[in-house]
Amino acid sequence: MLLFAVLLVACSRPEPPKLSQGTLLPSAKPVTDFQLTDHRGQPFTLKNLKHNWTFAFFGYTHCPDVCPTSMAMLAQVQGNLEKQDGLDKLPQVVFVSVDPERDTAALLSEFVPYFHADFIGASGDAQNTLNLTRQLGILYGKTEGSAADNYLVDHSAAIILLDPDGAFRAVFGVPHDPTLIASDFLAIKDYYEATQ
Amino acid sequence: MKRSLLTLTLWAWSLLATADSTLQVENAWLREAPPNAHMMAAYMTLNNTGSGDAVLTQVESPAFSHVMLHKSEVVDGMARMIHQDEIIIPAQGAVELKPGSFHLMMPAPAKRLVEGDRVDFILTFSNGDTIKVQADVRKKP
Repeated sequence: MLLFAVLLVACSRPEPPKLSQGTLLPSAKPVTDFQLTDHRGQPFTLKNLKHNWTFAFFGYTHCPDVCPTSMAMLAQVQGNLEKQDGLDKLPQVVFVSVDPERDTAALLSEFVPYFHADFIGASGDAQNTLNLTRQLGILYGKTEGSAADNYLVDHSAAIILLDPDGAFRAVFGVPHDPTLIASDFLAIKDYYEATQ
Repeated sequence: MKRSLLTLTLWAWSLLATADSTLQVENAWLREAPPNAHMMAAYMTLNNTGSGDAVLTQVESPAFSHVMLHKSEVVDGMARMIHQDEIIIPAQGAVELKPGSFHLMMPAPAKRLVEGDRVDFILTFSNGDTIKVQADVRKKP
């Protein structure tokens, strides 16, 4: 009986981590290919999500409050992770524009690296943006009654975590705490590596 | 017209500066924006020690073409900004303009404002009171 219990423990898969801020998906959700362009004018596709952990935030550069706050918070997450021993590679952080009409690569190239030199800005046409956001449960839309060139965009405030297979792993709702997000990330990464 | 209104407002403020005010503003700051950003946001805490509600109806600034009262909120996971016609500071209470909540939104000026710069705002309340506020530009999460 005792031997059976020991074997059971030894053979069982690790328990999913208890997260402080994020929600881990019951199983990773693979993402199908998408076509965006990064802030340097290079293609940004599913290939860019492979072999890296990725935090993705969805916003727009005309947003003066929520988006800069979230981007600065993500820079703090990176700062916390940079201090971690044994973390061979930092996750990449991608700001995906939900306002592709106004967010040109030129605008993104000034907005996104302002928060952290390694952050990536990405945008695509309406169809390609929808193709990615729909897979990640991200919603957005122009505010009703806005002028043609002067409008606000409502958008999901969540931060999405994708694993090195390019699969949707976890979501972080608001309010965002950079210490908790960093520790949740490490727990998710450990769990991922233990279950490979 | 706009300029003369501003001058009038400043004049009005100079009169009020000597009066006892039941409204105080603390910790006024603007978030430094990335280069070529189109919009900026400013924050402050408004304290009302008076016995009646104070209603902020208008904000002007010599640094900006116009200043809007806004509120960010997240409902069902969606972040949205909502224009406010006014912000009410309850009697014996305070309202904090802060990231993710009430804030002032302004189109960024042609010359970029950076950390260390200072900007004046003139707050006008429904009873005609005005307060001049100096805000620091800060880099802040």
